[in-house]
Amino acid sequence: MNDSHRPNDRHRRPRASYNAGPEGFSDGRLVEVHNQLARDKEEPSEGFSLLPVFVVFLFCGFGFWAGLYLTRNSGDFNPGSFDLDAPRAVADNGPKEFEPDPAKGEKLFVANCASCHQPTGLGVAGAFPPLAGSPWVAGNEERLIKIILAGLAGEIEVKGAKYNAAMPNIGAGLKDAQVAHIATYVRQAWGNTAGPVTDAKVAEVRKKVGSRGAYSPADVLIEYPLETK
Amino acid sequence: MSQETPNSRPQGQGRPQGRPADAGSPRVSRVDASVASPVKFFFASALLWLLVSSVLAVITAVKLHLPGFLNGCEHMTFGRLDAVQRNVFFYGWASNALIGLNLWLLSALGRFEFRNGWIATLGGLIWNLALTAGVVTVLLGSQNAFELLELPRGLAPAFFVAFLLAALWPAVAFARRPTSQVFVSQWYILGASFVLPVVYLLTQLMVLWFPTNGVLQALVHSWFLQNFLLLWLGASALAAVYYFLPKELGTTLNGYYLTTVGFWTLFLFAGWTGPATLLGSPLPLWIQSSGVVAAVMLLIPLTITTINFFGTLSRDSGWSRSWNNTTLRFVAFGLVAYTLAIALQIVFSARSLNAVVRFTAFTAGQQQLLAYAFVSMVIFGAAYFILPRLTGAFWPSAKLVHLHFWSCALAVVGSVAGSLFFGWTQGAALAAGKPFAETVAPQSALLGTVCAVLFLIGHAAFAINAFGMLTSCSSSTDEGRHA
Repeated sequence: MNDSHRPNDRHRRPRASYNAGPEGFSDGRLVEVHNQLARDKEEPSEGFSLLPVFVVFLFCGFGFWAGLYLTRNSGDFNPGSFDLDAPRAVADNGPKEFEPDPAKGEKLFVANCASCHQPTGLGVAGAFPPLAGSPWVAGNEERLIKIILAGLAGEIEVKGAKYNAAMPNIGAGLKDAQVAHIATYVRQAWGNTAGPVTDAKVAEVRKKVGSRGAYSPADVLIEYPLETK
Repeated sequence: MSQETPNSRPQGQGRPQGRPADAGSPRVSRVDASVASPVKFFFASALLWLLVSSVLAVITAVKLHLPGFLNGCEHMTFGRLDAVQRNVFFYGWASNALIGLNLWLLSALGRFEFRNGWIATLGGLIWNLALTAGVVTVLLGSQNAFELLELPRGLAPAFFVAFLLAALWPAVAFARRPTSQVFVSQWYILGASFVLPVVYLLTQLMVLWFPTNGVLQALVHSWFLQNFLLLWLGASALAAVYYFLPKELGTTLNGYYLTTVGFWTLFLFAGWTGPATLLGSPLPLWIQSSGVVAAVMLLIPLTITTINFFGTLSRDSGWSRSWNNTTLRFVAFGLVAYTLAIALQIVFSARSLNAVVRFTAFTAGQQQLLAYAFVSMVIFGAAYFILPRLTGAFWPSAKLVHLHFWSCALAVVGSVAGSLFFGWTQGAALAAGKPFAETVAPQSALLGTVCAVLFLIGHAAFAINAFGMLTSCSSSTDEGRHA
């Protein structure tokens, strides 16, 4: 029974609806034909089938959903969380306590500040003032927060050197907690030893600043004179 | 069945399919003859265990509404009989039959002759002796508290070795097959044959021999159950479906190029679905959620098998042709059941729905849908195809084939629908805070008994037919069959 089909099939690849004929497949022919089907996808003459594309999109959709579901329902992959509702109940007890995080602060500093002040906090001589050891960042934290939130423009003297460049209001686009992380980092990195800054303090200062433009160094000094060492 | 369309092959109930009715006694090919004795051994043992399981199922079902029934002796108490029935069904009937079926399919598709069929028979002998010993132990009152691991752990090595001899040894022989071409059924058989021993070994070690702490035991056990059901029973039965559909319809599978994806995604995700059966338990949330994700991702293999099977069946009046073909009628029934079972598994892994049906008969209905309506029906269909080729005899009675199909189909539809319905209503009642006794519908136990009796009738019809054929001696060998 195979012989009646073979000469034909050498020249014509089996189509999706290949029929074995009235006597059915022999086991050998069954394997052979399907092997060919797996190897050569479909004949060009059959036209472009939408099915494979549809299936691929469908499966990608499943994968996307799976990722979403796992992220939302996995309790942060914490081996101690057993109940979907438990973490939410904890979160509803009130706003989370702010904790200064040097790692987050450094990441934010590198992203927002380091292009001028440099990752070392030393600034660029003649252009951007240093932050390391600068009395402007130590002492009263409101001074630093105001500068980050509103920016600074005008001649400024830091550690005996004069600088004249404009600092944009970087903090205006950041959240309170982010500004607090940055300020804490600046006040405690590179040998600086000032106290941390909380997000509540940033929120308070942000209210005071309102939508005013950049400070001049003189304005800042009137409000917050530099603490002498 | 009686009316034959011009393009359908002459075929009637009670005749082996795929060969002309007037060809006289069917002949046994050399390939079939090489596996005949182990496969016949596995099918015969499977049949005996099926009868035992059906009788036990009737007894346990009656006990549910007549608690005094056979109450006189401790060996006949519900707890023991129920465990024995479950193990006899899964290890005695389904596993025996699938080992035999896989063996036959591997040799038929690989077109090689087994030289050492006795090794597989030896494995089957050990397997069945171990099961007998286990059944006796459970009846005497000693069992483990894990579903499908009730048999004493001392028998695990025997089961393990028996499976290696009976199912993995043919897989080694598969590597030496004369042709390099591989068909999708062969992947599924090899996958299933490798999954079972690994999962069984690890579960025995982690649950019974060196028990792990706390919830890990339950997690490992659920992993074992899902693997056993989906990747051992399910994948083996899928292998048979992938073979019989094109073989009996005489057409190629629809969307065959997708089968690779279907195979790998089934084996990737099915093993992870265990935690989805343990939702709401004190398992870490991320494990439960990954179980849910795995269960939902079964949509991928389900989509592909749907395209493959239903696409093939809907071509060239495939549905009506399979209805008129003994093997395909069972196989198509099983296919619908498989699709439903996986769909239910996906839908009821949703946390809100799962919370309703958890701890009710609903999950038993799901299990029966997969293990009986799919796996067992496919095995029946396969037996109607294979046994005549091994024995060289026809099925003695067409009426018994009818009786078998209709009583089993009715019973499984009634039983599964009953479990799903009463499970759902009970879950809803429990969720509404009703006391447990009020949530149990007495009709469910009655329905269970009716279905158990129907199952017994169907299985008896099948067994009479099959043993009639297995004992008739005719073994004219035909060396040239289709090869």
